[in-house]
Amino acid sequence: MTDLIDGNAAADVVVPSVDAAPDSQTVGWRHRHLLDVDELSTADLDLVMRTTDAMREVLARPIAKVPALRGRNVTILFYEASTRTRVSFEVAARNLSADVTNIAAQTSSVSKGESLVDTIRTVEALGARMLVMRHAVSGAPYLAAEVFGGSVLNGGDGWHAHPTQALLDLYTMRSRLSGGSVAGRKIVILGDVLHSRVARSNIWALTAAGADLWLCGPTTLLRGFEAWAGRGAAGGRRFHVTADVDRALRDADVVMALRIQRERMSSGLLPSLREYAARYGLTAARLALAQPGALVMHPGPMNEGVEIAPEVAAGAQSVITDQVTNGVAVRMAMLYLLAGVSAAGAAP
Amino acid sequence: MTDLDLARAWLVDPASGREGPGDIVVRDGIIEAVTWLEGIDAEGIDAAGVVVAPGFIDLHAHLREPGNEDAETIASGLAAAAHGGFTTVCAMPNTSPAIDEPGVVAGIRAAAIVSGSPLELLVHGAVTVGREGGTLAPLGELADAGVAGFSDDGAPIRSGSILRNALAYAGALGLPVIDHAEDPDLTDGAEANDGLVATVLGLRGWPVAAEEAAVGRDLAILADVVRDVPSARLHLTHVSTGASLDLIRRAKSAGLPVTCDVTPHHLALTDDWIAGSRRWAWEASVDPWDVAAREAAPYASSLRVNPPLRCPEDALACLAAVADGTANAIATDHAPHTEVDKAVEFGLAANGISGIETALGVVLAAVDAGHLTLLRAIEALTSGPAAVLADRSRRARSVGLLEGSPADLVVVDRADSWTVTRERLASKGKNSPLIGMSMPGRVLLTMAGGRIAYEAPSD
Amino acid sequence: MSGRRIMTADEIRRATVRLSHEIVEKQAGTDGLLLIGIQRRGVPLARRIAASIAENEGVEVPVGALDITFYRDDLSLVAQQPVVKGTELPSGIDGKTIVLVDDVLYTGRTIRAAMDALVDFGRPQAIRLAVLVDRGHRELPIRADHVGKNVPTSREELVKVHLEETDGEDGVEIERLVETPLAAEPVA
Repeated sequence: MTDLIDGNAAADVVVPSVDAAPDSQTVGWRHRHLLDVDELSTADLDLVMRTTDAMREVLARPIAKVPALRGRNVTILFYEASTRTRVSFEVAARNLSADVTNIAAQTSSVSKGESLVDTIRTVEALGARMLVMRHAVSGAPYLAAEVFGGSVLNGGDGWHAHPTQALLDLYTMRSRLSGGSVAGRKIVILGDVLHSRVARSNIWALTAAGADLWLCGPTTLLRGFEAWAGRGAAGGRRFHVTADVDRALRDADVVMALRIQRERMSSGLLPSLREYAARYGLTAARLALAQPGALVMHPGPMNEGVEIAPEVAAGAQSVITDQVTNGVAVRMAMLYLLAGVSAAGAAP
Repeated sequence: MTDLDLARAWLVDPASGREGPGDIVVRDGIIEAVTWLEGIDAEGIDAAGVVVAPGFIDLHAHLREPGNEDAETIASGLAAAAHGGFTTVCAMPNTSPAIDEPGVVAGIRAAAIVSGSPLELLVHGAVTVGREGGTLAPLGELADAGVAGFSDDGAPIRSGSILRNALAYAGALGLPVIDHAEDPDLTDGAEANDGLVATVLGLRGWPVAAEEAAVGRDLAILADVVRDVPSARLHLTHVSTGASLDLIRRAKSAGLPVTCDVTPHHLALTDDWIAGSRRWAWEASVDPWDVAAREAAPYASSLRVNPPLRCPEDALACLAAVADGTANAIATDHAPHTEVDKAVEFGLAANGISGIETALGVVLAAVDAGHLTLLRAIEALTSGPAAVLADRSRRARSVGLLEGSPADLVVVDRADSWTVTRERLASKGKNSPLIGMSMPGRVLLTMAGGRIAYEAPSD
Repeated sequence: MSGRRIMTADEIRRATVRLSHEIVEKQAGTDGLLLIGIQRRGVPLARRIAASIAENEGVEVPVGALDITFYRDDLSLVAQQPVVKGTELPSGIDGKTIVLVDDVLYTGRTIRAAMDALVDFGRPQAIRLAVLVDRGHRELPIRADHVGKNVPTSREELVKVHLEETDGEDGVEIERLVETPLAAEPVA
């Protein structure tokens, strides 16, 4: 933010400088849904970053609440158990003074329970205007968006996308890297890339922002990404894929470790978690290969001792707790922007 | 029985391999005269106008009755087939109960008669009891009941020894074993073709190897069997990959008695459609991540099918296989489903495309784009499948515009087109990814066994 | 500028100086004063007033900025004008006498939103309002304590304030509204 006052600034708020001055903003927010980061233009991304700045400032206030969404309902519909993300969205919604409805559903299948379509029609009839959804099946939010009259915010669908995670990761990196930008920085995503919606959304966001992105993990967990990297993403954006962890980490500016799940072993993709930890775990020794002061990130929840060593997770370079705080701010920003579209009845 | 006078149309006759301007006269349901026009009489008639061909034959359709009449009945399925220009349809045995004993065959025949449809309905019997892959079904009794072939489709014949025995036994009966080639271990939980689109969209991949490996196994077993039973025949249905087609091509040139079919959706649609593209396989493909280029919302469950839609290279290989004859036939794999089974998340949706009414349009799109000749396309829809059916179809020996035969005809106006809508589909299954799109060519009339099966409304 | 000019740069300067005198006079000094400018143009105005007070009283009165975007009562404006310009307040507004500073006072909704926001930050002793232009048409029971210029307007008109810090030059003009402006200032 530009220099506004000469007096005492609000305590301890790290308000990152964002590239363009506010007055150069010409475009509003037109998206009715947030299903994936790939729908956002660079201008949209800037707007989200800027709005998140403002939400960070709200979070630093004695009363961390604004009435922006007062009287509006935000329904959280999670088909996958997740405490952290759900709570993050709840806190975000309540900080905007919204009314929050929490629904924990079972992943639907024809023989058990209500179908997704019926559930959404029901919650809409109950007054939901904004739906935050998490689902175990890739693509589910797109079906929801077809059926739901309000806004759908994807809180994670299968292996496909987790847009708010990518946004908060981008925000965190920009706020902590000197220069406030990820352009040209070497960023490594380390771990189970194949099953990771966090990885996929980050691939889009980081390549769009001009980062030098590397994906690293055991070959069984990189399936399909080598071919994708060879082709490049839309617009000719490129990224690197390697199973060589030393090569990936060398001189990196940011290392993001992904969670390894036990079921990867039982499905035959990995011999054991111990072997994974030994060959790919982010230990202090491996971190030393990166730039001094390189950022350590993790979307959580962590398997300490497997994909990340406890001392690294808690160490000076870790910005994992920042990610959590920024997560609330980003989600507040997204709920706010999407609510505006619903209210204005703008076309999707 | 009907009279019909079609003058100055473009006739396509697979029996003689001839196509050109001509007249057809039908009297009392029999083709009385086929007159090829020449010289001045032929002027002004071309293949871009009204085309007359023998009624199409579908080797592979799911009519859902008995057991799943919400999705389709014999009556609605045959009505849909007639709308699509088909006059002979083969029903797959994955009904409930499965077609694994003569009583079920009789029930289906009865339903066809009750429907009043003039179409010829043939039935494939199951290979194993209940299609469970355990023990052989009563193949002899089923043959006596008149089945046209044996298959466990929608499932593969898992056991190699069952396949071997079925090929031998069915060979002696003079009927083909029709296999849905898939290695189920490699496809466990799979949602979409294992390729760039699946990677980008986070869908569980369905490797080409799952089909190729099964095809290889089937061909090896066939080679063994023919040494003892030279009359054994294998038909591989809905082959979807270039790799599999290469194996089949080689086996055929080595003289193995194998035939195969490809579906319209496998030769024209691609996995890019799941990412939101609506371009035919032969058109320039688009990056699945290029959101701005999306023509439709991604993850449309109407695109979930087994085998999955493949990459453009494989689709073009299917098209090329039809062109060079490696694929004997185009079969629709018509798979109607209810809303309940399809209006769900992609990974939970039932597999299948309701395609019997759009098959012709898709094939004509390929012809219009120059990737297939009209004659070859018609052959793949008529004489090709007839050869697989041998003597089981009343038409097998005479698939063509032949004077003296009962009229099995389709009349298509290639200058016209139609937009696919839920209301226009006669099938109960509205799970077509082509809804909203305009299909080239429009069926004006379908005649089966000398009676009118479908006539386009005059609006 | 495309409309009818109703204040020149000099007139703005004089009004600002007068406002600064009035504010100090009402407070009988500068103790406890806190100027808070309402984004956007209220902020440079508040700074100018503080500068004028410093010149005349030799005291630096603290200045803050308040963004009321999140307190507006019309969420449909978000789609058109989502950009948040930022709030920075000196810590502790408890017991202070806050003078809200804005460029134009119109319906009063912005001031209502500003007061809602301030309440979340603490409990001031008093809140007063200083505006450069009061154009009438109040929809809420709100009045300004200090007014630069009273300008009667009709609802079909738009009052545009330009300041050097934000627009490159000083001036106030009235324009006729042709249609609902997409990028216009929020209803003040």
